[in-house]
Amino acid sequence: MTDDSGALSIDFIAGFTIFLLAFIWVLSMIPGLLIGLQAYTIDYDAVAYRTGVMLVEDPGEQVVAYPYYPWQSYGDQEKEKAIRFGLAVSKDTPNILLQDKVNRFFCVTTSDPAVGFVYPKDYKDRLIFGDYRFNISLLDQGQTLSVGDVRPVNTSYGYIRRVVKIKSDSNATIDNPYMTTHSFIKSDPVLTHVFSIHINNSKLLGEIINPAYQIDPPREQMTINITDLDDFLQPTVTLTAIKICTMVKNPSSATCYPLTSSLSYPYVDGSNTRTSMPAPVNENISLRFNPQYFNDRISAGVGDIFIVLRFDLSNPGLFLNNTQALPDFDTMNAETTFFNPGTGIVNPNTTPFDYNYYPENVTQPRLRDAVLEVAVW
Amino acid sequence: MVKNDGGQLYTIEGFAAGLIMIITAYLVVNATSVYTAGDTHINDMQLEALGSDALRVMDIPVSNDEHSLMQDIIEDTDIGVNNLTFGTTFSSLVNNKTGSSRDHIQFTANVSYRSTGDTIDSYLLNNTRNLSGGEHSVRATKWVIVDELHGNVQPRAVLVEVLLWRD
Repeated sequence: MTDDSGALSIDFIAGFTIFLLAFIWVLSMIPGLLIGLQAYTIDYDAVAYRTGVMLVEDPGEQVVAYPYYPWQSYGDQEKEKAIRFGLAVSKDTPNILLQDKVNRFFCVTTSDPAVGFVYPKDYKDRLIFGDYRFNISLLDQGQTLSVGDVRPVNTSYGYIRRVVKIKSDSNATIDNPYMTTHSFIKSDPVLTHVFSIHINNSKLLGEIINPAYQIDPPREQMTINITDLDDFLQPTVTLTAIKICTMVKNPSSATCYPLTSSLSYPYVDGSNTRTSMPAPVNENISLRFNPQYFNDRISAGVGDIFIVLRFDLSNPGLFLNNTQALPDFDTMNAETTFFNPGTGIVNPNTTPFDYNYYPENVTQPRLRDAVLEVAVW
Repeated sequence: MVKNDGGQLYTIEGFAAGLIMIITAYLVVNATSVYTAGDTHINDMQLEALGSDALRVMDIPVSNDEHSLMQDIIEDTDIGVNNLTFGTTFSSLVNNKTGSSRDHIQFTANVSYRSTGDTIDSYLLNNTRNLSGGEHSVRATKWVIVDELHGNVQPRAVLVEVLLWRD
C-alpha cells in the first residue's frame, strides 16, 4: 500500500509538470497575441494622414473678426489670432501651397515667443490636435525645411508623404533701363521727387480668376524692387515717407493714408530688417507689403490703389519721379494727382508704374514641385 | 495495480489540459491574424495618395498661360512609344523624399480613351518594370483634358491609370 501511494504522487507531478509547461508557453504567447490588436501605429498613421490633408488641402483659419486677415499675415505679437494652420492657396486649390504660408509655418522657435511659432505648443494647438510628437519637413528647390523632433530610429511612427506645388509670390524690378524706357526720370532738377505704383485690385482679381495664378495683394505678399538708385549721384538721398491712396467709384472718393505699420516698412540697401522712415538710401529699396496693409484699405468698393513714395535729395537734381503730387506730397489730393474716380479725368503728368499681369512689368506667380512629409509618434 | 491506474489518470489529465491550451492558443493566433493583415491597407492608402498626388501635380500648369505637363505628354505621345518625360517626372515625384534617401516605387502607366470607332482603347505610356503578376500594386487615376490626340484635334477627356508598387 505504501509503495502504491508513492507511485501515485510521481504520476501527479508528471501530469502537473506538462500542464505547467503548456500554461507557461501559452502565457509567453500573450504579448505576441496582442501585437495584432495594438492600434497605436494605425492611430499614428491616421493622425499623420489628417495632418497632411490639413497642410496640403486647407488654407488654414484665422479669428472670425473683421477685417479678415489671412493667418500667415499676423506678426509674432498677434499670432494667437492664427487658429489653424493650412498651407493651401485656397480650399479650391488642393496640393498648391502658398509661399507666404510656407515661410510663416516654418518660422519656428523653441524658446522665444517673440520670434516665431513656438515648438511644440503652437503646432499642437493649431495643427496636430493631440499630445503626439511629430516632424514635418518640406523639400523645396533642393533644400529641406523642417519643424519638430528627429524621427525615432528604433520605434515605428505614423507617416504620410504628399507631392505638392508651391505658388511663388509675384515681384517686379524697376531698374535703370526700365526707368529710362518708361521716362520715370524727370528732367526737372528739384529737391523732392515722388514715385507711385498703381495696383488695380479689381482688375487683378477679374482678369485671372484661378487663385493658383492670381496676384492677390490682400492675401499674398508682393515684392517691388527699386534698384540702380546709385546711378543718380547725390551726396544723400532719403526715402522720407510712403503713402497709400485708395479710389472708390460709387460714390466717388479718394483718400490717402500714411504707412504706419512696421510690418510693411521697406527694406533698404539689401538689409534683412525693415526700416522705419525717413531712411537714407544708397542703391536699392525693396517694398514687401504685408497683406494686412491692403486688407485694411480694400473694402467698401475700393478698386484702385496707389502706393506713393517721397524721396528728398540733398541737392536739386534728377531722380526717380513719375508723379505730379498736387498740391504737394503732404497734403496730396489723390483725385487731382492721379485721376478723379467720379469723372474719370486723369492727370497726364502722373504715369504710375502699373503692377499687372504683363510679364514685362511683373514676374508672374509660378508653381514649382515640392515634397511634404509628416511623421507622428 | 488499482493505484497505478489512478496515477495514469492524472497524467492523461495533464496531457489533455496542455493540449486544450495549445489548441486554444493556436485558434486565437489564427483569429487575431485577421487584424494584423488588415494593417496593409495603410501602406496601400499611402501609396495610392502618393500616386494620385503625383498625377494631380503633373496636370497643374506652372503658369496661367501654359498647358500642364501631363497634357503636353499625352498630346505628344504616339501609340507604342514609351514616353521618357513621363517616366522621369513621375518617378521623381513619387520617389523623392525630404531626406537624402529615395523610395523604391515602381509603376506602369496606361492611357485609356474613346476611339473613333466608339470603343475604348488604351496604350502604354511608360513603365519602370513589367508586371509579373506577383506584385501587390495599387491604382491611381486622373482624368486629363487634351486638345488633340493622335492627330484628332478635338477636346476630350482621357484616363491616365497608374499601377504602383514597392520593390
